[in-house]
Amino acid sequence: MTRRIFNRLVWGLVTLGCIYVITFLMVVSAPGNPFAAAERNMPPEVVRALEARYSMDNQAAYFFQFLAGAVRFDFGPSFQYKDWTCSQIIARALPVSLTLGLVAMLIAVLVGVPVGVLSAVRRNSWFDLTSLGFILIGISLPAFVTGSALLIVFAIYLKVLPIGGWGRISQLVLPALTLSLPFMAYIARLTRVGMLDVLGSDFVRTAVAKGLDRRAVIWRHAFRVAFLPVLSYLGPAAAQAMTGSFVVEKVFNVPGLGIHFVDAALNLDRGLIMSCVLAYSAILILFNIIVDLLYAQVDPRIKEAA
Amino acid sequence: MFRWVVAVCLILLAATLAGYTLAGGSERADFAYVNSTGINTLDPAQMSWTPDIRVAINIWEGLTTYDPRTTRPREGAAYLPPDVSADHLTYTFTLRPDARWSNGDPVTSGDFVRAWRRAIEPGTAGDYAFFITDYIAGAGEYYEWRNHNVAALTALNRLARGWGVDDESARSLWGDAELPELAAARPGPEPPTVAEITSLDLDWGAIYRRRFERHAAELDARFVSVGLEAPNDHTLRVMLTRPCPYFLDLCAFAVMLPCHRSIELLREGVGDTGLTPEGLVVYDPQWTKPDYHANGYPGLITNGPYRVADWAFKRRLHLETNPHYWDRESIACRSIDMLVYSDLNTALMAYERGDVDFLPDMSVEYDHQLVELAVTGQRPDFIFPVVFGTYYYIFNCDSETVRGRANPFRDARVRKAFALCIDKRTLTDKVIGRGDPVSQHVIPVGTITGYESPPVAAGDAGEARRLLADAGYAGGRDLPPIDLLYSTGSQHGKVCEYLANTWRLELGVTVELRGKETKTFAEDKVKCNYMIARAGWYGDYADPTTFLDVFATGNGNNDAGYSNPTYDALLARAAAETDAARRMQLLADAEAMLVNDEFPALPLWQYTNLMAVKSHVRGLHPNPRLTFPFRYLSVQR
Amino acid sequence: MIGAPATSRRAGDRRPERPSSRSWRRFRANRLAGAGTVFVLVATLIAIFALPFSLSWFDVQNATTAVRHAPAVGRVVDQAPYAEAQGSNTPGSWFTWAGPAVYRVASWWGHDNLGRSVLFRCLLGFLVSLVIGLGAAVMSVTIGVLWGAVAALAGGRVDAVMMRIVDVLFGLPYILMVILLKIALEGPLIRLFAGRTQLANVVLLAVAIGAVSWLTMARVIRGQVLSLREQPFIEAARAIGAGRLRILFLHLLPNLVGPIAVYATLVVPQAVLQESFLSFLGIGVQQPVPSLGRLAADGVQAVNTFVGYWWLITFPCLLLVLTLLALNFIGDGLRDAFDPKSRTTLLV
Repeated sequence: MTRRIFNRLVWGLVTLGCIYVITFLMVVSAPGNPFAAAERNMPPEVVRALEARYSMDNQAAYFFQFLAGAVRFDFGPSFQYKDWTCSQIIARALPVSLTLGLVAMLIAVLVGVPVGVLSAVRRNSWFDLTSLGFILIGISLPAFVTGSALLIVFAIYLKVLPIGGWGRISQLVLPALTLSLPFMAYIARLTRVGMLDVLGSDFVRTAVAKGLDRRAVIWRHAFRVAFLPVLSYLGPAAAQAMTGSFVVEKVFNVPGLGIHFVDAALNLDRGLIMSCVLAYSAILILFNIIVDLLYAQVDPRIKEAA
Repeated sequence: MFRWVVAVCLILLAATLAGYTLAGGSERADFAYVNSTGINTLDPAQMSWTPDIRVAINIWEGLTTYDPRTTRPREGAAYLPPDVSADHLTYTFTLRPDARWSNGDPVTSGDFVRAWRRAIEPGTAGDYAFFITDYIAGAGEYYEWRNHNVAALTALNRLARGWGVDDESARSLWGDAELPELAAARPGPEPPTVAEITSLDLDWGAIYRRRFERHAAELDARFVSVGLEAPNDHTLRVMLTRPCPYFLDLCAFAVMLPCHRSIELLREGVGDTGLTPEGLVVYDPQWTKPDYHANGYPGLITNGPYRVADWAFKRRLHLETNPHYWDRESIACRSIDMLVYSDLNTALMAYERGDVDFLPDMSVEYDHQLVELAVTGQRPDFIFPVVFGTYYYIFNCDSETVRGRANPFRDARVRKAFALCIDKRTLTDKVIGRGDPVSQHVIPVGTITGYESPPVAAGDAGEARRLLADAGYAGGRDLPPIDLLYSTGSQHGKVCEYLANTWRLELGVTVELRGKETKTFAEDKVKCNYMIARAGWYGDYADPTTFLDVFATGNGNNDAGYSNPTYDALLARAAAETDAARRMQLLADAEAMLVNDEFPALPLWQYTNLMAVKSHVRGLHPNPRLTFPFRYLSVQR
Repeated sequence: MIGAPATSRRAGDRRPERPSSRSWRRFRANRLAGAGTVFVLVATLIAIFALPFSLSWFDVQNATTAVRHAPAVGRVVDQAPYAEAQGSNTPGSWFTWAGPAVYRVASWWGHDNLGRSVLFRCLLGFLVSLVIGLGAAVMSVTIGVLWGAVAALAGGRVDAVMMRIVDVLFGLPYILMVILLKIALEGPLIRLFAGRTQLANVVLLAVAIGAVSWLTMARVIRGQVLSLREQPFIEAARAIGAGRLRILFLHLLPNLVGPIAVYATLVVPQAVLQESFLSFLGIGVQQPVPSLGRLAADGVQAVNTFVGYWWLITFPCLLLVLTLLALNFIGDGLRDAFDPKSRTTLLV
């Protein structure tokens, strides 16, 4: 077990290194000089001196310098927000994105799973059909449309929730809900299909024929088998929720890392771009490792094979 | 199994929410306003964006401040009027004895000297360093001297490390009289090539070290030659290069704000020298944070009516009254929140809901609707003032070829032809639809007291075609495709398409539109890599020269490459003129030259600004310079 | 029995049915997939038929008519005067005979605040989105199939290294990589397209999205080729001296059509959705080129409490939802038809 964890962690670090190289190559090949201001100009000696100071004049040196700093979690200054270092920006924004993603996933599971099970159990009933319709909408509407719709209804017409921002529970509701919708839909769909499969299988029919309580059969025995594909989906889904919440953050003005990354990308803020990518990748890799291990624990077939 | 899943989820949810509530949440301030871009930097010597300046003039106080209604200079940390010498070249300011920093320290003249010196340092790279280098005696020379040494030290540093240098650096080393080894090793009048320099077998490391130490030693001695004196803590004497009737206006600006001595704790540098290896004077950029305490730094200390209590990146800047401010009794608004909403649409909805009291900028997609509401009076809280700035397009007056094609705009007749056939009224009324006031002048009309804009002769498309024929391009023949550069975003694309269409219809020329991202656009504009480019200018101080100097030969912001000795001579005569009325007349003549004959720029409209202020806010007066001192505010809910 | 070759025909024999034909028949029986296919085909035809109008009008601003607010559904806006200014209204051109009827059709879905017909922009946007989706699918299919097949055929160390690379790339957040690729490739692509920035941008999006979507395809193809590799017919081909490339293209690919079709059709709606996110964030399709995502994003940003521009958001979103649903149904249908064991379809 510990060997497995160790193995995964080592490979995770190697992956991070490769990602660093790939990102570095892409970032330095992008055109544009971050020191060019829109309205005023700087004398060339000053530009050269600044480039020397921020190690922009020698790409190889910058590569190693950034790496050395990254190991100590010091990602250098941000070019567009001169008063802030990248580590400060990430330290403040990353927890926001993580919280948002986590709450969204939990909502998705808490709502999606029961909906999926009940849909499967009451197949073709009105409940099933409405939830199917809801699932279809959830996977076909982009988040900014659903988010804006919810914003208009709850924050502008009904005025029960605030417009956006971060800090109070009421400000967390709408963004988390919007972010959870596509995942909720997909989880419900997975659960439904899984349950339908299991409910048609032999061992369930035997259990029912033997007279076991129907509810126990559904929620305890059948569910355990149906839940496995959902569990294996949860890992990448949670990581995606945490690292892909850009659009929701923009709609609801949530100060997460996603929107800072987009700004950095548009303004060619190299340090911030690379630190964001590294942060996100680290989260993704960590999550994949955790879910892999969890899945191994839950699914006895894998545990046996280990 | 299902119960397990639910239980785990609920526990995780509860834990997350608990952590979340513990972390966030804050009280609403007395007054909240919106900033859509976030704070670029809070360093007054580096800032050039209006939202940053808006905060800076409220947390620091210069020698003078702005009057909330007229924006004329008012008393700040110094008493007015200062003692001015007979030749108008020496200003002696007496500082208030009760002016205090937010930690109780008295404001001294040394704080101003320190700030102004920092502003002209190359390491600060301030956009407004010219406020000091242009006007204060000796400052320009000191700035050049520092730049030259920094260039030399950067090049020597690279050579010492075994890296190459480029042509410019090689030339700067050659012209340096302080490197005898170089002259000895490679005699001859011409500058050496890069290859020659790198092939010289000199001990670059030793040369660099010696040069560095000597430069570090003579820094302070050299600064004495700048016309700034602080004979005692309460007196500041400033010597100017030429008479400047608007000097008091300059003193209220961001770059002239004082700087507390605690910043010296955060000076970066090699050992005791206080210089980086490139010879730059640089301070840890985090000195603007209220909670930064490295090396014993007490956090940001300011001397204005407000101090920074909390700064959450791109979320909220929280200001509270400065407990030691000399006029704290008169401040009615105790706390201010600057909230960051990156989407103006959301910001407007927040304003409607009451979360925010003041929206300084409402450029949303449907803003012509809002302008109508403002202008017809249906929404008295929407205000649509005209701003101290002009939106114009510049012609490339200098380059012979642009992107491989001959540049026709070196001929003023061609420029005038292109300028005369634009129907600006249709542009502002129909295409943009905001009803911005059409402008035929570079300087917004009626915004500077004592200055009368010169008359502009009307022209039309017929005259434009005649001029084009005179220049040899009758009917648009022989003209290459015209390259029109603009930055994507805002309405520039629409304007450019309208201009292109007009020129095609009226003059028969082909125009190619080139829309670029802001940073690449700025680069192309600076390098004169365009034939016509979108530009614009906001005035920095209340004098015509803030607009006219841009077109002087060699000015750092002269992106059009315009150079006319007659024009420069007019400006020089105005600078030397002591009689105010005659001076204004000379400047009006200079502008007349630009807008009647020369046309380095094609003015389109005067900038406007759509704002919203809640009715329960008193003391906020819209003005063309968009300066809002918050200490005069009072909010009654 | 995958890949069983057509046996030699003897007179009177009935040709054994290829498994792939059986799958296609299953697909055709799936009603939802059928509806989806019909929708996509009909919409594409209408959009192509309307191309002369949409291409002329998608960037025309109505400066000469007094258009200051977005005209609502049904209000006819005469495009002729401005089209004349653009030089499109030469005598005898289709603009003159098209006239009032087309303007009435153009007003069915209203106009936006520049006076452009929402209907025609939606139709053009539909094509652009489809092009981006198909481009991304082609890109990811090409890379994924080549990668997976080469890895499986090469085997051993090469296979291990190639699949490790896939694992590494899985660790990259999707939308981050799209954005980064877009910045990095922007310069070269614009130079390649000689300054036609709008075209370059669309291609760039397709390339960027396709370049991060090939990973699953590679894994699946590798799995398929690994199992195909052991089939007797491949051994037979090798025995008669067929080169590796010949085996790949002539024998393997026809049997991979199923999984390729399935995963390719999954990439298309995903790409359209991703493009809409990128357009909303400001880095997708640039003005004035429309795409379904761009139009939906613009509509969302026009929402306000002062004036209701409901047609700006309703119609593009409707079209976007229907397109995504249709594409998803097609993908589900294909998956159901070719791989009935996977059982992840929505409606069983």
